[in-house]
Amino acid sequence: MNAIEIRNMYKDFKLVYDKPTTLKERICFWKTTKVQKRQVLKNINLDIKKGETVALIGTNGSGKSTLLKLMTKILYPNKGTLETHGKLTSLLELGAGFHPDFTGRENIYFNAAIFGLTRQEIDKRIDEIIEFSELGDFIDNPVRTYSSGMYMRLAFSIAINVDAEILLIDEILAVGDQHFQDKCFAKLKEMKKSEKTIVIVTHSLGQVRELCNRAIWIYNGEVRMDGTPNEVVDEYLKVCQ
Amino acid sequence: MRLFKDLYQYRELLKTNVKKEIRGKYKGSFLGVLWSFINPLLQVLVYAIVFPFIMRSSPDHFIVYLVIGIIPWNFFITCMNQGMITVRMNAGIIKKVYFPREILPLSVTLSGLVNFFISCIVIILFCIFGGVGPLSWHVILVPIFAFIQFLFTSGLVFAFSAINIYIKDTEYIIQFFINLLFYATPILYEATLLPERIRWVLYLNPLTHLIETYRDLFMYHTLPSLTSVGYLIFITLIVLFIGYAIFKKLEKGFAEEV
Repeated sequence: MNAIEIRNMYKDFKLVYDKPTTLKERICFWKTTKVQKRQVLKNINLDIKKGETVALIGTNGSGKSTLLKLMTKILYPNKGTLETHGKLTSLLELGAGFHPDFTGRENIYFNAAIFGLTRQEIDKRIDEIIEFSELGDFIDNPVRTYSSGMYMRLAFSIAINVDAEILLIDEILAVGDQHFQDKCFAKLKEMKKSEKTIVIVTHSLGQVRELCNRAIWIYNGEVRMDGTPNEVVDEYLKVCQ
Repeated sequence: MRLFKDLYQYRELLKTNVKKEIRGKYKGSFLGVLWSFINPLLQVLVYAIVFPFIMRSSPDHFIVYLVIGIIPWNFFITCMNQGMITVRMNAGIIKKVYFPREILPLSVTLSGLVNFFISCIVIILFCIFGGVGPLSWHVILVPIFAFIQFLFTSGLVFAFSAINIYIKDTEYIIQFFINLLFYATPILYEATLLPERIRWVLYLNPLTHLIETYRDLFMYHTLPSLTSVGYLIFITLIVLFIGYAIFKKLEKGFAEEV
Protein backbone atom coordinates (compact mmCIF):
# COMPACT_ATOMS: atom_id res chain seq x y z
CA MET A 1 0.00 0.00 0.00
CA ASN A 2 1.51 3.31 -1.08
CA ALA A 3 0.92 6.45 0.90
CA ILE A 4 2.37 8.73 -1.76
CA GLU A 5 2.65 7.96 -5.45
CA ILE A 6 4.45 10.26 -7.84
CA ARG A 7 4.57 9.54 -11.56
CA ASN A 8 6.57 11.42 -14.21
CA MET A 9 6.09 14.65 -12.36
CA TYR A 10 7.47 17.97 -13.56
CA LYS A 11 7.27 21.32 -11.86
CA ASP A 12 8.24 24.64 -13.41
CA PHE A 13 8.39 28.02 -11.81
CA LYS A 14 7.82 31.00 -13.98
CA LEU A 15 10.51 33.58 -13.63
CA VAL A 16 9.03 36.80 -14.87
CA TYR A 17 11.01 39.99 -15.11
CA ASP A 18 8.86 43.02 -14.29
CA LYS A 19 5.86 40.89 -13.69
CA PRO A 20 2.71 42.59 -14.99
CA THR A 21 0.14 42.63 -12.25
CA THR A 22 -2.22 45.29 -13.49
CA LEU A 23 -4.33 45.30 -16.60
CA LYS A 24 -2.50 48.30 -18.03
CA GLU A 25 0.85 46.55 -17.70
CA ARG A 26 -0.59 43.41 -19.14
CA ILE A 27 -1.85 45.21 -22.20
CA CYS A 28 1.16 47.47 -22.70
CA PHE A 29 3.83 44.86 -22.18
CA TRP A 30 2.11 41.72 -23.29
CA LYS A 31 4.79 41.01 -25.84
CA THR A 32 7.80 42.40 -24.09
CA THR A 33 7.63 40.64 -20.74
CA LYS A 34 10.08 37.85 -20.68
CA VAL A 35 8.80 34.73 -19.08
CA GLN A 36 11.50 32.29 -18.30
CA LYS A 37 10.67 28.87 -17.09
CA ARG A 38 12.89 27.27 -14.56
CA GLN A 39 12.41 23.61 -14.11
CA VAL A 40 12.51 22.89 -10.42
CA LEU A 41 11.64 19.22 -10.53
CA LYS A 42 12.24 16.93 -13.48
CA ASN A 43 10.62 13.61 -14.08
CA ILE A 44 10.16 12.52 -10.49
CA ASN A 45 8.95 8.97 -9.91
CA LEU A 46 8.53 7.93 -6.31
CA ASP A 47 6.54 5.46 -4.30
CA ILE A 48 6.49 6.03 -0.58
CA LYS A 49 4.98 3.11 1.23
CA LYS A 50 2.73 3.33 4.22
CA GLY A 51 4.76 3.31 7.41
CA GLU A 52 8.01 4.43 5.86
CA THR A 53 10.10 7.21 7.33
CA VAL A 54 11.76 8.99 4.45
CA ALA A 55 14.33 11.77 4.49
CA LEU A 56 14.82 14.09 1.56
CA ILE A 57 18.37 15.42 1.46
CA GLY A 58 20.22 17.68 -0.90
CA THR A 59 21.80 21.10 -1.19
CA ASN A 60 19.86 24.35 -0.90
CA GLY A 61 17.72 25.05 -3.93
CA SER A 62 17.66 21.48 -5.14
CA GLY A 63 13.88 21.25 -4.98
CA LYS A 64 13.26 19.37 -1.71
CA SER A 65 10.90 21.89 -0.22
CA THR A 66 9.05 22.27 -3.50
CA LEU A 67 8.53 18.54 -3.55
CA LEU A 68 7.10 18.72 -0.05
CA LYS A 69 4.78 21.56 -1.03
CA LEU A 70 3.55 19.52 -3.96
CA MET A 71 2.79 16.64 -1.60
CA THR A 72 0.61 18.87 0.62
CA LYS A 73 -1.21 20.29 -2.42
CA ILE A 74 -0.14 23.85 -1.90
CA LEU A 75 1.48 23.66 -5.32
CA TYR A 76 0.33 21.53 -8.23
CA PRO A 77 2.50 19.72 -10.81
CA ASN A 78 2.75 21.03 -14.37
CA LYS A 79 2.95 17.53 -15.75
CA GLY A 80 2.49 14.08 -14.32
CA THR A 81 0.56 13.05 -11.24
CA LEU A 82 0.97 13.01 -7.51
CA GLU A 83 -1.43 11.11 -5.31
CA THR A 84 -1.60 10.79 -1.57
CA HIS A 85 -3.67 8.32 0.39
CA GLY A 86 -4.65 9.12 3.94
CA LYS A 87 -4.98 12.14 6.15
CA LEU A 88 -2.03 14.43 5.73
CA THR A 89 -0.52 17.12 7.90
CA SER A 90 2.37 19.32 7.00
CA LEU A 91 4.70 21.42 9.05
CA LEU A 92 6.31 23.61 6.44
CA GLU A 93 6.60 26.74 8.42
CA LEU A 94 6.13 27.16 12.12
CA GLY A 95 2.93 28.65 13.34
CA ALA A 96 1.33 29.25 9.96
CA GLY A 97 -1.99 30.83 10.75
CA PHE A 98 -1.16 31.92 14.30
CA HIS A 99 -2.80 35.16 15.32
CA PRO A 100 -0.34 37.09 17.46
CA ASP A 101 -3.03 38.83 19.52
CA PHE A 102 -4.79 35.68 20.61
CA THR A 103 -3.68 33.42 23.44
CA GLY A 104 -1.86 30.17 22.93
CA ARG A 105 -4.98 28.24 23.83
CA GLU A 106 -7.11 30.08 21.24
CA ASN A 107 -4.43 29.58 18.65
CA ILE A 108 -4.51 25.86 19.26
CA TYR A 109 -8.14 25.95 18.15
CA PHE A 110 -7.44 28.10 15.08
CA ASN A 111 -4.43 26.10 14.02
CA ALA A 112 -5.97 22.69 14.55
CA ALA A 113 -9.05 23.84 12.62
CA ILE A 114 -6.83 24.64 9.65
CA PHE A 115 -5.59 21.07 9.83
CA GLY A 116 -9.20 19.93 9.53
CA LEU A 117 -10.02 18.99 13.12
CA THR A 118 -13.46 19.54 14.60
CA ARG A 119 -14.11 21.23 17.90
CA GLN A 120 -14.70 17.96 19.77
CA GLU A 121 -11.52 16.48 18.39
CA ILE A 122 -9.55 19.51 19.53
CA ASP A 123 -11.21 19.46 22.98
CA LYS A 124 -10.09 15.89 23.34
CA ARG A 125 -6.49 16.65 22.48
CA ILE A 126 -5.96 20.05 24.01
CA ASP A 127 -4.53 18.85 27.32
CA GLU A 128 -2.09 16.63 25.52
CA ILE A 129 -1.01 19.48 23.25
CA ILE A 130 -0.47 21.88 26.14
CA GLU A 131 1.41 19.30 28.11
CA PHE A 132 3.65 18.42 25.20
CA SER A 133 4.44 22.08 24.53
CA GLU A 134 5.53 22.58 28.18
CA LEU A 135 4.23 26.13 28.04
CA GLY A 136 2.53 25.93 31.42
CA ASP A 137 0.86 29.19 32.41
CA PHE A 138 2.06 30.91 29.25
CA ILE A 139 -0.66 29.10 27.32
CA ASP A 140 -3.15 31.81 28.32
CA ASN A 141 -0.89 34.68 27.24
CA PRO A 142 -1.00 36.20 23.75
CA VAL A 143 1.28 34.47 21.30
CA ARG A 144 3.10 37.72 20.46
CA THR A 145 4.66 37.62 23.93
CA TYR A 146 6.24 34.23 23.25
CA SER A 147 9.89 33.69 22.54
CA SER A 148 10.65 32.06 19.20
CA GLY A 149 11.38 28.80 20.96
CA MET A 150 8.03 28.80 22.74
CA TYR A 151 6.29 29.68 19.49
CA MET A 152 7.91 26.75 17.79
CA ARG A 153 7.11 24.38 20.63
CA LEU A 154 3.43 25.25 20.44
CA ALA A 155 3.32 24.86 16.65
CA PHE A 156 5.08 21.53 16.76
CA SER A 157 2.87 20.22 19.55
CA ILE A 158 -0.28 20.97 17.58
CA ALA A 159 0.91 19.43 14.33
CA ILE A 160 2.14 16.29 15.97
CA ASN A 161 -1.13 15.74 17.81
CA VAL A 162 -3.34 16.06 14.74
CA ASP A 163 -3.12 12.30 14.30
CA ALA A 164 -2.44 12.36 10.61
CA GLU A 165 -1.46 9.25 8.73
CA ILE A 166 1.11 11.15 6.71
CA LEU A 167 3.32 13.80 8.30
CA LEU A 168 5.48 16.14 6.23
CA ILE A 169 8.15 18.14 8.03
CA ASP A 170 10.46 20.77 6.59
CA GLU A 171 13.72 21.52 8.44
CA ILE A 172 12.17 22.51 11.68
CA LEU A 173 13.57 20.09 14.17
CA ALA A 174 16.62 22.26 14.54
CA VAL A 175 14.81 24.84 16.66
CA GLY A 176 14.09 24.59 20.35
CA ASP A 177 16.48 23.72 23.13
CA GLN A 178 18.23 20.40 23.45
CA HIS A 179 15.61 19.02 25.79
CA PHE A 180 12.72 19.79 23.44
CA GLN A 181 14.62 18.56 20.40
CA ASP A 182 15.16 15.24 22.12
CA LYS A 183 11.50 15.10 22.99
CA CYS A 184 10.42 15.76 19.41
CA PHE A 185 12.83 13.18 18.22
CA ALA A 186 11.41 10.63 20.64
CA LYS A 187 7.89 11.49 19.53
CA LEU A 188 8.82 10.99 15.88
CA LYS A 189 10.34 7.62 16.73
CA GLU A 190 7.16 6.65 18.50
CA MET A 191 5.11 7.71 15.46
CA LYS A 192 7.39 5.73 13.24
CA LYS A 193 6.59 2.62 15.28
CA SER A 194 2.85 3.23 14.96
CA GLU A 195 2.89 2.85 11.20
CA LYS A 196 2.69 6.55 10.31
CA THR A 197 4.27 7.73 7.12
CA ILE A 198 6.78 10.50 7.71
CA VAL A 199 8.65 12.56 5.13
CA ILE A 200 11.24 14.99 6.43
CA VAL A 201 13.48 17.48 4.72
CA THR A 202 16.59 17.97 6.79
CA HIS A 203 20.22 18.88 6.77
CA SER A 204 21.16 17.10 9.95
CA LEU A 205 22.44 13.89 8.53
CA GLY A 206 22.90 12.29 11.93
CA GLN A 207 19.14 12.37 12.43
CA VAL A 208 18.63 10.83 9.02
CA ARG A 209 20.79 7.86 9.93
CA GLU A 210 19.11 7.38 13.26
CA LEU A 211 15.46 7.99 12.45
CA CYS A 212 14.79 7.14 8.84
CA ASN A 213 14.62 3.86 7.01
CA ARG A 214 15.01 5.41 3.60
CA ALA A 215 16.76 8.44 2.20
CA ILE A 216 16.29 10.17 -1.12
CA TRP A 217 18.90 12.52 -2.47
CA ILE A 218 17.49 15.25 -4.67
CA TYR A 219 20.05 16.90 -6.92
CA ASN A 220 19.09 19.74 -9.28
CA GLY A 221 15.49 18.67 -9.34
CA GLU A 222 16.12 15.02 -10.00
CA VAL A 223 16.34 11.97 -7.82
CA ARG A 224 20.03 11.22 -7.73
CA MET A 225 20.00 8.37 -5.28
CA ASP A 226 17.40 6.43 -3.37
CA GLY A 227 18.26 3.83 -0.78
CA THR A 228 19.09 3.12 2.84
CA PRO A 229 20.10 6.16 4.87
CA ASN A 230 23.68 5.07 5.43
CA GLU A 231 24.40 4.43 1.75
CA VAL A 232 22.83 7.64 0.54
CA VAL A 233 24.31 9.85 3.27
CA ASP A 234 27.82 8.43 2.74
CA GLU A 235 27.61 9.03 -0.99
CA TYR A 236 26.18 12.51 -0.45
CA LEU A 237 29.00 13.44 1.90
CA LYS A 238 31.59 12.15 -0.54
CA VAL A 239 30.28 14.34 -3.34
CA CYS A 240 29.82 17.40 -1.15
CA GLN A 241 33.38 17.45 0.06
CA MET B 1 -19.86 16.17 -3.86
CA ARG B 2 -16.20 16.41 -3.04
CA LEU B 3 -16.81 20.00 -1.97
CA PHE B 4 -19.46 19.06 0.56
CA LYS B 5 -17.29 16.35 2.05
CA ASP B 6 -14.40 18.80 2.40
CA LEU B 7 -16.60 21.47 3.89
CA TYR B 8 -18.01 19.01 6.36
CA GLN B 9 -14.57 17.92 7.46
CA TYR B 10 -13.31 21.48 7.74
CA ARG B 11 -16.50 22.82 9.36
CA GLU B 12 -14.62 24.06 12.40
CA LEU B 13 -12.37 26.18 10.20
CA LEU B 14 -15.41 27.56 8.36
CA LYS B 15 -17.06 28.36 11.67
CA THR B 16 -14.08 30.19 13.18
CA ASN B 17 -13.58 32.08 9.90
CA VAL B 18 -17.18 33.23 9.80
CA LYS B 19 -16.92 34.40 13.39
CA LYS B 20 -13.71 36.25 12.67
CA GLU B 21 -15.29 37.84 9.61
CA ILE B 22 -18.26 39.12 11.61
CA ARG B 23 -16.38 40.28 14.69
CA GLY B 24 -13.06 41.24 13.13
CA LYS B 25 -14.37 43.96 10.85
CA TYR B 26 -15.28 46.40 13.58
CA LYS B 27 -12.75 45.22 16.12
CA GLY B 28 -11.45 48.06 18.21
CA SER B 29 -14.35 50.41 17.48
CA PHE B 30 -16.46 51.51 20.39
CA LEU B 31 -19.76 50.08 19.17
CA GLY B 32 -18.25 46.96 17.60
CA VAL B 33 -20.60 44.68 15.68
CA LEU B 34 -23.46 47.14 16.17
CA TRP B 35 -21.96 49.20 13.35
CA SER B 36 -23.09 46.66 10.78
CA PHE B 37 -26.68 47.60 11.72
CA ILE B 38 -26.17 51.29 12.32
CA ASN B 39 -24.38 51.83 9.01
CA PRO B 40 -27.31 50.95 6.72
CA LEU B 41 -29.66 52.96 8.92
CA LEU B 42 -27.48 56.03 8.60
CA GLN B 43 -27.48 55.47 4.87
CA VAL B 44 -31.28 55.30 4.92
CA LEU B 45 -31.32 58.53 6.87
CA VAL B 46 -29.25 60.30 4.21
CA TYR B 47 -31.46 59.18 1.35
CA ALA B 48 -34.64 59.86 3.30
CA ILE B 49 -33.55 63.44 3.87
CA VAL B 50 -32.08 64.17 0.46
CA PHE B 51 -34.24 62.25 -1.96
CA PRO B 52 -37.65 63.85 -1.46
CA PHE B 53 -36.03 67.13 -2.51
CA ILE B 54 -34.69 65.76 -5.77
CA MET B 55 -37.59 63.61 -6.80
CA ARG B 56 -41.05 65.00 -7.29
CA SER B 57 -42.73 61.97 -5.81
CA SER B 58 -41.35 59.26 -3.61
CA PRO B 59 -42.93 55.86 -2.93
CA ASP B 60 -45.45 55.49 -0.13
CA HIS B 61 -43.92 54.76 3.27
CA PHE B 62 -40.61 55.88 1.82
CA ILE B 63 -38.53 55.02 4.90
CA VAL B 64 -39.75 51.43 5.05
CA TYR B 65 -39.32 51.21 1.30
CA LEU B 66 -35.71 52.36 1.64
CA VAL B 67 -34.89 50.08 4.56
CA ILE B 68 -36.06 47.00 2.68
CA GLY B 69 -34.00 48.10 -0.32
CA ILE B 70 -30.80 49.08 1.40
CA ILE B 71 -30.32 46.24 3.86
CA PRO B 72 -30.30 43.49 1.19
CA TRP B 73 -28.16 45.73 -1.02
CA ASN B 74 -25.70 46.08 1.85
CA PHE B 75 -25.61 42.31 2.22
CA PHE B 76 -24.64 42.14 -1.45
CA ILE B 77 -22.06 44.90 -1.50
CA THR B 78 -20.33 43.91 1.75
CA CYS B 79 -19.88 40.38 0.47
CA MET B 80 -18.50 41.66 -2.82
CA ASN B 81 -16.08 44.13 -1.28
CA GLN B 82 -14.69 41.73 1.28
CA GLY B 83 -14.97 38.67 -0.91
CA MET B 84 -12.94 40.00 -3.81
CA ILE B 85 -9.90 40.57 -1.64
CA THR B 86 -10.27 37.57 0.65
CA VAL B 87 -7.83 35.30 -1.20
CA ARG B 88 -5.24 38.06 -1.37
CA MET B 89 -5.66 38.92 2.31
CA ASN B 90 -4.99 35.33 3.27
CA ALA B 91 -1.92 35.00 1.08
CA GLY B 92 0.32 34.09 4.02
CA ILE B 93 -1.66 31.08 5.02
CA ILE B 94 -2.34 29.94 1.45
CA LYS B 95 1.38 29.62 0.90
CA LYS B 96 1.95 27.55 4.00
CA VAL B 97 -0.96 25.23 4.66
CA TYR B 98 -3.36 23.18 2.62
CA PHE B 99 -7.07 23.54 3.29
CA PRO B 100 -10.00 23.67 0.88
CA ARG B 101 -9.61 27.14 -0.61
CA GLU B 102 -13.38 27.49 -1.06
CA ILE B 103 -13.56 28.16 2.66
CA LEU B 104 -12.23 31.68 2.17
CA PRO B 105 -14.93 33.12 -0.14
CA LEU B 106 -17.63 31.05 1.50
CA SER B 107 -16.87 32.35 4.97
CA VAL B 108 -17.30 35.91 3.67
CA THR B 109 -20.69 35.24 2.08
CA LEU B 110 -21.85 33.07 4.98
CA SER B 111 -21.03 35.82 7.46
CA GLY B 112 -22.98 38.18 5.19
CA LEU B 113 -25.95 35.84 5.33
CA VAL B 114 -25.82 35.64 9.12
CA ASN B 115 -25.58 39.41 9.29
CA PHE B 116 -28.56 39.76 6.97
CA PHE B 117 -30.71 37.48 9.10
CA ILE B 118 -29.95 39.60 12.14
CA SER B 119 -30.65 42.76 10.14
CA CYS B 120 -34.07 41.35 9.25
CA ILE B 121 -35.05 42.22 12.81
CA VAL B 122 -34.45 45.87 11.92
CA ILE B 123 -36.59 45.50 8.79
CA ILE B 124 -39.38 43.87 10.81
CA LEU B 125 -39.29 46.65 13.39
CA PHE B 126 -39.59 49.27 10.65
CA CYS B 127 -42.47 47.34 9.06
CA ILE B 128 -44.38 47.14 12.32
CA PHE B 129 -43.87 50.75 13.35
CA GLY B 130 -43.70 52.21 9.85
CA GLY B 131 -47.39 52.03 9.12
CA VAL B 132 -47.45 49.26 6.52
CA GLY B 133 -49.68 47.05 8.61
CA PRO B 134 -48.85 43.93 10.61
CA LEU B 135 -46.55 41.27 9.13
CA SER B 136 -48.20 38.48 7.20
CA TRP B 137 -47.26 34.83 6.78
CA HIS B 138 -45.31 35.79 3.63
CA VAL B 139 -42.33 36.67 5.81
CA ILE B 140 -41.51 33.00 6.33
CA LEU B 141 -40.42 32.86 2.68
CA VAL B 142 -37.68 35.45 3.25
CA PRO B 143 -35.00 32.91 4.26
CA ILE B 144 -35.45 31.10 0.94
CA PHE B 145 -34.71 34.26 -1.01
CA ALA B 146 -31.89 35.21 1.34
CA PHE B 147 -30.40 31.82 0.54
CA ILE B 148 -30.78 32.44 -3.19
CA GLN B 149 -29.02 35.77 -2.74
CA PHE B 150 -26.29 34.01 -0.78
CA LEU B 151 -25.74 31.52 -3.62
CA PHE B 152 -25.79 34.23 -6.27
CA THR B 153 -23.26 36.37 -4.39
CA SER B 154 -21.08 33.34 -3.67
CA GLY B 155 -20.89 32.63 -7.38
CA LEU B 156 -19.68 36.14 -8.09
CA VAL B 157 -17.26 36.14 -5.16
CA PHE B 158 -15.80 32.78 -6.24
CA ALA B 159 -15.06 34.15 -9.69
CA PHE B 160 -13.73 37.58 -8.79
CA SER B 161 -11.68 36.60 -5.74
CA ALA B 162 -9.77 34.18 -7.98
CA ILE B 163 -9.40 36.49 -10.96
CA ASN B 164 -8.25 39.28 -8.66
CA ILE B 165 -5.14 37.26 -7.82
CA TYR B 166 -4.04 37.27 -11.43
CA ILE B 167 -5.25 40.73 -12.44
CA LYS B 168 -5.28 43.15 -9.54
CA ASP B 169 -7.41 45.68 -11.43
CA THR B 170 -10.45 43.45 -11.10
CA GLU B 171 -11.21 44.95 -7.72
CA TYR B 172 -11.45 48.47 -9.11
CA ILE B 173 -13.29 47.56 -12.28
CA ILE B 174 -15.90 45.62 -10.33
CA GLN B 175 -16.17 48.50 -7.90
CA PHE B 176 -17.28 50.69 -10.80
CA PHE B 177 -19.88 48.18 -11.94
CA ILE B 178 -21.24 47.85 -8.43
CA ASN B 179 -21.69 51.62 -8.30
CA LEU B 180 -23.53 51.45 -11.58
CA LEU B 181 -25.63 48.56 -10.36
CA PHE B 182 -26.79 50.56 -7.36
CA TYR B 183 -28.63 52.93 -9.65
CA ALA B 184 -29.78 50.13 -11.94
CA THR B 185 -31.64 48.55 -9.05
CA PRO B 186 -34.89 50.07 -7.75
CA ILE B 187 -33.56 50.79 -4.28
CA LEU B 188 -34.19 54.53 -4.08
CA TYR B 189 -36.96 54.74 -6.66
CA GLU B 190 -39.78 52.61 -7.99
CA ALA B 191 -39.34 50.61 -11.17
CA THR B 192 -42.47 52.19 -12.58
CA LEU B 193 -40.69 55.52 -12.61
CA LEU B 194 -38.76 54.44 -15.69
CA PRO B 195 -40.36 54.77 -19.13
CA GLU B 196 -41.80 51.47 -20.19
CA ARG B 197 -39.57 50.98 -23.22
CA ILE B 198 -36.36 50.83 -21.15
CA ARG B 199 -37.80 49.28 -18.02
CA TRP B 200 -36.88 45.78 -19.21
CA VAL B 201 -33.20 46.66 -18.68
CA LEU B 202 -33.90 46.98 -14.99
CA TYR B 203 -35.41 43.51 -14.95
CA LEU B 204 -32.32 41.91 -16.45
CA ASN B 205 -30.67 42.69 -13.14
CA PRO B 206 -31.32 39.81 -10.73
CA LEU B 207 -30.99 42.18 -7.79
CA THR B 208 -34.09 44.01 -9.00
CA HIS B 209 -36.06 40.80 -8.67
CA LEU B 210 -34.55 40.06 -5.28
CA ILE B 211 -35.29 43.44 -3.78
CA GLU B 212 -38.80 43.60 -5.21
CA THR B 213 -39.41 40.14 -3.80
CA TYR B 214 -38.28 41.26 -0.34
CA ARG B 215 -40.66 44.20 -0.62
CA ASP B 216 -43.51 41.94 -1.72
CA LEU B 217 -42.96 39.72 1.29
CA PHE B 218 -42.29 42.34 3.97
CA MET B 219 -44.31 45.29 2.81
CA TYR B 220 -47.01 44.43 0.30
CA HIS B 221 -47.94 41.01 1.73
CA THR B 222 -48.06 39.35 -1.66
CA LEU B 223 -46.18 36.57 -3.39
CA PRO B 224 -43.55 37.40 -6.02
CA SER B 225 -44.44 36.48 -9.58
CA LEU B 226 -43.38 33.06 -10.76
CA THR B 227 -41.45 34.42 -13.73
CA SER B 228 -39.48 36.58 -11.34
CA VAL B 229 -38.59 33.62 -9.12
CA GLY B 230 -37.84 31.42 -12.11
CA TYR B 231 -35.50 34.01 -13.62
CA LEU B 232 -33.77 34.49 -10.27
CA ILE B 233 -33.12 30.78 -9.79
CA PHE B 234 -31.96 30.41 -13.37
CA ILE B 235 -29.43 33.26 -13.16
CA THR B 236 -28.24 32.15 -9.72
CA LEU B 237 -27.50 28.62 -10.93
CA ILE B 238 -25.61 29.90 -13.96
CA VAL B 239 -23.55 32.40 -11.94
CA LEU B 240 -22.78 29.85 -9.24
CA PHE B 241 -21.78 27.18 -11.72
CA ILE B 242 -19.53 29.43 -13.82
CA GLY B 243 -18.08 31.22 -10.78
CA TYR B 244 -17.16 27.99 -9.07
CA ALA B 245 -15.66 26.56 -12.25
CA ILE B 246 -13.45 29.65 -12.60
CA PHE B 247 -12.37 29.38 -8.97
CA LYS B 248 -11.51 25.69 -9.30
CA LYS B 249 -9.53 26.35 -12.45
CA LEU B 250 -7.50 29.19 -10.94
CA GLU B 251 -7.03 27.99 -7.35
CA LYS B 252 -4.12 25.73 -8.25
CA GLY B 253 -1.95 28.73 -8.97
CA PHE B 254 -2.86 30.71 -5.85
CA ALA B 255 0.26 29.82 -3.87
CA GLU B 256 2.53 30.87 -6.72
CA GLU B 257 0.70 34.04 -7.71
CA VAL B 258 -0.22 35.77 -4.46
